[in-house]
Amino acid sequence: MKKIKGNSVSNGVAIGKAKIIKKHELYIEHKKIHKSEVKFELSRFNEDVTFVINELDKLIQDYTYSQENRDILESHKMILMDPEFKKKISKFIADDLYNLEHAISTYFTEAADIFSNLNNSYLSHRVSDFEDVAYRLLSHILDERKDILEDVTQNSILIMENITPSFVTKVFEKDIRGLCIERGSRNSHSSIIARSMNLPMLVNTLGLMGNIKDEEDLIIDGNNDYIIISPTKSVLEKYKAIYKREQNVRNGLLKLIDVEPITKDGKKIKLMSNIEIPQEIDQVLKYKSDGIGLFRTEFLFIDSEDLPTEEEQYEIYKKIAEKSAPNPLTIRTIDVGGDKLSNILNIAYEENPNLGCRGIRISLENIPIFKQQIKAILRANIHGNIKIMFPMISGVDELLKVKEIIEICSKELSKGGIPFNADMELGVMIEIPSAVITSDSIAEECDFLSIGTNDLIQYTLAVDRDNQSISDYYKPTHPSMIRSIKLTVDNAHKIGKKVAVCGEMASEKKYVKLLLALGVDELSVSPGRLLIIKKEIIDCNITEMKSKLDRILSCKTSKEVMKLI
Amino acid sequence: MIRKTIKIVNKLGMHARPATMIVKAAVKYRSEFKIIKFDMEINGKSIMGVMTLAAEYGSELELVADGVDEEFLIKEIAEMFASKFGEE
Repeated sequence: MKKIKGNSVSNGVAIGKAKIIKKHELYIEHKKIHKSEVKFELSRFNEDVTFVINELDKLIQDYTYSQENRDILESHKMILMDPEFKKKISKFIADDLYNLEHAISTYFTEAADIFSNLNNSYLSHRVSDFEDVAYRLLSHILDERKDILEDVTQNSILIMENITPSFVTKVFEKDIRGLCIERGSRNSHSSIIARSMNLPMLVNTLGLMGNIKDEEDLIIDGNNDYIIISPTKSVLEKYKAIYKREQNVRNGLLKLIDVEPITKDGKKIKLMSNIEIPQEIDQVLKYKSDGIGLFRTEFLFIDSEDLPTEEEQYEIYKKIAEKSAPNPLTIRTIDVGGDKLSNILNIAYEENPNLGCRGIRISLENIPIFKQQIKAILRANIHGNIKIMFPMISGVDELLKVKEIIEICSKELSKGGIPFNADMELGVMIEIPSAVITSDSIAEECDFLSIGTNDLIQYTLAVDRDNQSISDYYKPTHPSMIRSIKLTVDNAHKIGKKVAVCGEMASEKKYVKLLLALGVDELSVSPGRLLIIKKEIIDCNITEMKSKLDRILSCKTSKEVMKLI
Repeated sequence: MIRKTIKIVNKLGMHARPATMIVKAAVKYRSEFKIIKFDMEINGKSIMGVMTLAAEYGSELELVADGVDEEFLIKEIAEMFASKFGEE
């Protein structure tokens, strides 16, 4: 038995047999063909190249790729369309009588050689492009790309070096037990997808491939961040029991997909989803949430070298709005710290980025970029029911500025004759204590409030939540938090506005009843948590919880609060 | 047939992006298009060819176009070099 540490992407246990998937070596046959076969080899060449170019075209059109990735694919396509490439291959086949595979591999080997000898660092690392194109083309020709998963059995746990988001989806659809990825990180797109599907996946499991053989017994313990190779009988039995328990819970939850999130005492709670990347929409639709309560747009800005254009943003917002309709899509404008954007924006080094230029401040400091995003949203709103939401608002001042900019954007769009729909609810993230205190004024100037609990806790209690040494001070049920949420909800309800919670508190089972008792109207959680939270809502009796509310509000410590909820 | 000598004025030289831009522009025309560097002559519509020029900042190249739309081709390509391929 051996344990290997990793980082778990989603909770849960998986038990199965190891199946190592390597980017396989292609077997290229080198042989001479007969003159009579030349015509056939050439026609094969044309067909295969056309096929791969079409495949690349499809990838290029996939809106989820960053501009940078699309540029790479575009250059791959050009390599295949190169007239010299066609000439050379035809010559190899017709004059030298090479078979097609031999001709292609010779061409790309020569090309890679030329490039690695160019003595130019910009070009010599393009060698990988040729290798990629050659691999793509040859594996198509050799028909090796027949589904890698075809002969993988369901009780497998796949071991791979790296993984793409679309492959994660395939693994999920095939109902394969789990994934161990040698590299990768918790926040990669593949990981986000796996998490929203509740697919057991461990990343960053260095050295795993060297320690494991196909068909060995394997356990992923996603709750404790490790893998167990060849577990002893007793360990295996223990995990089988855990797995069975988890499966029972999961099956129970799946029955709730078509059940409305209505509390025991008859209040309908809106249960929405938070998404980080467009692909997550599929899970949102599957679990039938009431819409998207938070679409983070950061992925557009931090994954690429260049800023996304208005057009690119419009296409993405449009697609998600269409899929989500008639349910709302709540788009939050860019919310990152300056540190993450420094490669594309001119942002000075900050001593204290958490109190620096982040959230709406970035947008207000970079108006042209902000306007692009607003315009893209206004235009996409024709195709669905979009709401817009602003992060890191400290008070009405910023909100008024933002509204003015929306006004200007609308005017510019109508001047240019570009269709848009300005009829859109406008929301404010409540995540700074000053916004809580002035939530009465903020609520008057907007349509809804959404409490971002993570930042609100951080700023109210002055605790950096990523700092392990002070994690004891990070208390979601600190009396100040309870009172802050109460104050925000009361202020909004007084003038008939709704309040959502989209922070992590909404995703935690233990806080759901408390939030509902405080009067929160909407909860927005990641797709993987939808059903778990729905069950909490269904089991909740708000009237009963409310009878305890006075006592909860008068608690002096978070410990006392925890006892009551 | 038209010939035109140009100088590489963008700092990074002829790396992948400029090469892609040149080929993309050149293939729109019907004329034949060659680029010559010393004794090396390559097909200007071939991405492989243009990249293997590995032409660096300051080096000189000769553009040669031959065909019905040769003037337009040379004009567009020469402008791309002059505008440093949008760099800086």
